[in-house]
Amino acid sequence: MTEVASPTRHLIEVMGTVVTIDLFGPHDSSAAHAAIGRARDVLVDVDRVFSTYKPTSPVSRLRRGEVTLGETPPQVADVLDLCQRAKTLSVGWFDPWSLPGGVDPTGYVKGWAAQLALDELRGLDVTGAIVNAAGDIASFGGPETGKVFRTGIVRPDDAQRLAAVVELRACLATSGEAERGAHLYNPFTHEFSSAVASASVTGPDLGVCDALATALSVGGHDVMVLIDTIEGYEAMTLDATGTMRATPDFPFVHD
Amino acid sequence: MKRSPIVAVGTVVGLASVLSFHSSPAKISLSSATGVTTTLPTTTTSVPATTTTTHNSAGTGAAPTTVAPTTTTTVAPTTTTVPTSGVRSATGPLVNYYFGVLSVKVTANGKKITAVTLGSISDGGNPRSQQIDQYATPILAQEAMAAQSSNIQSISGASYTSAGFQMSLQYALKKLGI
Repeated sequence: MTEVASPTRHLIEVMGTVVTIDLFGPHDSSAAHAAIGRARDVLVDVDRVFSTYKPTSPVSRLRRGEVTLGETPPQVADVLDLCQRAKTLSVGWFDPWSLPGGVDPTGYVKGWAAQLALDELRGLDVTGAIVNAAGDIASFGGPETGKVFRTGIVRPDDAQRLAAVVELRACLATSGEAERGAHLYNPFTHEFSSAVASASVTGPDLGVCDALATALSVGGHDVMVLIDTIEGYEAMTLDATGTMRATPDFPFVHD
Repeated sequence: MKRSPIVAVGTVVGLASVLSFHSSPAKISLSSATGVTTTLPTTTTSVPATTTTTHNSAGTGAAPTTVAPTTTTTVAPTTTTVPTSGVRSATGPLVNYYFGVLSVKVTANGKKITAVTLGSISDGGNPRSQQIDQYATPILAQEAMAAQSSNIQSISGASYTSAGFQMSLQYALKKLGI
């Protein structure tokens, strides 16, 4: 076994961004290489099936009505089922069916895919691992045995400064307008708008975190009250006036 | 056991300038719902770990060193040819990004990053790409520094993660032994 120093960072260019995978603790590099390869395959396959930027992807063809759901790969129906659950959980604030141009599960897929990639790493002899898909983060373990990962949430107006540091026990997704302009769609007003500048959600499932962060961005306070009632999930927002709000158990690091 | 009321935790000063970001039309990430007609290819820009490539001057549209299909790049903290102490800088290799080719230059003092800048960038003179470059690359540089300044392992939020920037940055950091 060839042991490598910790942490190691692996970069996978996929889904229009770079997904980083960090492995912590001394580990067997050949086993890690194989697992990273499987994680990469998962991400590439998700992009192939779900990309709304590839006109020939099954989801693009489904959106155009060229194929039925039954004619797409089975994971499309699986994800749409998960999206329906997230829609119900968010009382309609997360609604892939409301988007102009046909059903678009993109708001769920990136987090879901990062979590699938992480699952390929669980058998490794590491103290922890982080998959970060452009700010949607799935993890297990910690930087060392007995230690918890810490994640910085950048300020939406100044990425050089952190608005908060949180303990990352499983997953964290952040949604906001800062990076891409108005792209969040309000399913109730049918307008592109958002209630807050940045919305973060932590919890055990990154697909759900991703969907709830999108809902929180659009719905603001109403959705935060809702998330406060969902076991295992916590939320934090920053609005344009600089006010930070959070559910009481949001895992801030205070030091 | 869930509880009530939402607490206002604090106020981050100076957020008013957030609106300056909102005016940008930059849309590169996959998850944007509308408006993007192209995307990065599903390939990885593979830069051999032993590369000593120096790049052509910006503006010539120089091709990146290598482009391999769908491979993973691994950056391990291995040997380095640059001193790992004192003030020094290193430039990562030229890599593809959304609109062209760029490289990232990192300056460090000891293990602490003190500056992240573009070593070079060639975007073909496209006005839209220039606009995006002007707004995105400082964010990316600042994220790198924010991550370094705290004892944290990852960053979330406003993460305009440009593939090329991250790729070149990782290799520049590796050269510096960070």
